Amino acid sequence: MSKPLKDHICEEQLFSSIFKKYSKDLHDFLYYKFGSQLNPQDKMQEAFVKLWENCSKIPQDKAKSFLFTTANNLMLNEFAHQKVVLRHRQTKPKHSTNINPEFLLQEKEYKAKLEKAISNLTEAQRVAFLMNRVEGKRFKEIAELLDISTKAVEKRIYGALKKLRKDIDEL
Amino acid sequence: MCESNIMNREDLIQKWLDHNLNPQELEAFKQLDDYDDLTRLDKHLKGFKADTMSTDNALDDVWNTINSTQQKKRKLLPVLSKVAAILVICFGIYFYITTLDTEMNTLVSQQKSVTLPDASEVKLNAMSTITFNESRWDNNRTVNLDGEAFFKVAKGQKFDVKTNIGTVTVLGTQFNVKHRENFFEVTCYEGQVKVDTNLKQHTLLPGDSFLIIDGNYIATEKENLSSPSWLNHNSSFKSIPFKEVISEFERQYDVTVSYDQRDANQKFTGSFTHNDIEIALKSITLPLQLKYSKTDHIISLKRE
Repeated sequence: MSKPLKDHICEEQLFSSIFKKYSKDLHDFLYYKFGSQLNPQDKMQEAFVKLWENCSKIPQDKAKSFLFTTANNLMLNEFAHQKVVLRHRQTKPKHSTNINPEFLLQEKEYKAKLEKAISNLTEAQRVAFLMNRVEGKRFKEIAELLDISTKAVEKRIYGALKKLRKDIDEL
Repeated sequence: MCESNIMNREDLIQKWLDHNLNPQELEAFKQLDDYDDLTRLDKHLKGFKADTMSTDNALDDVWNTINSTQQKKRKLLPVLSKVAAILVICFGIYFYITTLDTEMNTLVSQQKSVTLPDASEVKLNAMSTITFNESRWDNNRTVNLDGEAFFKVAKGQKFDVKTNIGTVTVLGTQFNVKHRENFFEVTCYEGQVKVDTNLKQHTLLPGDSFLIIDGNYIATEKENLSSPSWLNHNSSFKSIPFKEVISEFERQYDVTVSYDQRDANQKFTGSFTHNDIEIALKSITLPLQLKYSKTDHIISLKRE
């Protein structure tokens, strides 16, 4: 038997530790699911404020589901099924040795194709795939966050990869 | 061979996706045709990274939000409770005042006329008190009486006069109720009057009286008067114990009368006026052959 968990999370320290554990994952989840237009960080914080307001009613082991569900609902209240477009950031430092107009053009084209291809993924595929590829999370971690089976995560991610590659080739 | 290669390839990609390749598998993965393709894709995907956020700053923000909303609630709560308390008190006072009974009383040797909300008239004899509720009068015509009063009741719903000894119920009529210590007399002058006591229930017709003295019902004869004599400043008695006569005398003249207790239960028939104490004294002493002496407010009666 595991140690009995505390009944509620109205303790500042416990609450802070929950925040540190889940805030980034929650934020990333919202970002990959809804894009940046709807301000995922605000929604994430709002969800934690709601968690505090209801802290006496929520056992510790239900906190994660509460946060993800609440934040998701907050988003859905605003989200009018617009197409989510994730922007590619120009963060890669330019390799001075590689400055070759043709190469740059190719890279640019590739990025555009990738953006388009990602926007064609299903929402479930996109969220799981980007959490995996960009945030470097393993299948099992994603499965726990999303409350689904590892097998389902595997399917979504592998499906996403296949679809992306096919789309990029065709475009 | 070809079959197993394909299996192998998919397996490797799966393991690569799951960040779970061991060194040998990694080497095998690097030998795949699409290795370059996959790494290129992977490299570019990193560009979609979510905004970075500072967990500590975000946590501070959350605490600030939580504290400010709680302060608002804390500040609001006492204000709300004060407002609520004031409302409750105001309502309570309003309720108390509007349902408060109205009380009328008379002093020694005083008479008073009271008009009730429905224009019924009450005349109060000396040393008497009535209480009634003005706000509930329409539904509940009830008067509490301690003392003696003559009622001229307007027609309407039933009208109750409550005393400690009994209740008098009428519909609309004229009657007198006298309720003193151990003495209860109801006289009907018009209409019908129902008297209800623990001892006896009785319906009175005009001229009838109902009398209880010291807990005993006493039968009385018909009287033919249109109103009680005290309204004309005269107290009259018919076979009434002398002590009751003296009590009435004391109420009308604001005096203290001392007398031989042997005379207390003698029956007295007669009357005395409220206007002249000398004549009144003679009226009550002569029939019983008593002598009186008077000093200030003290009168003593002696047997001859």
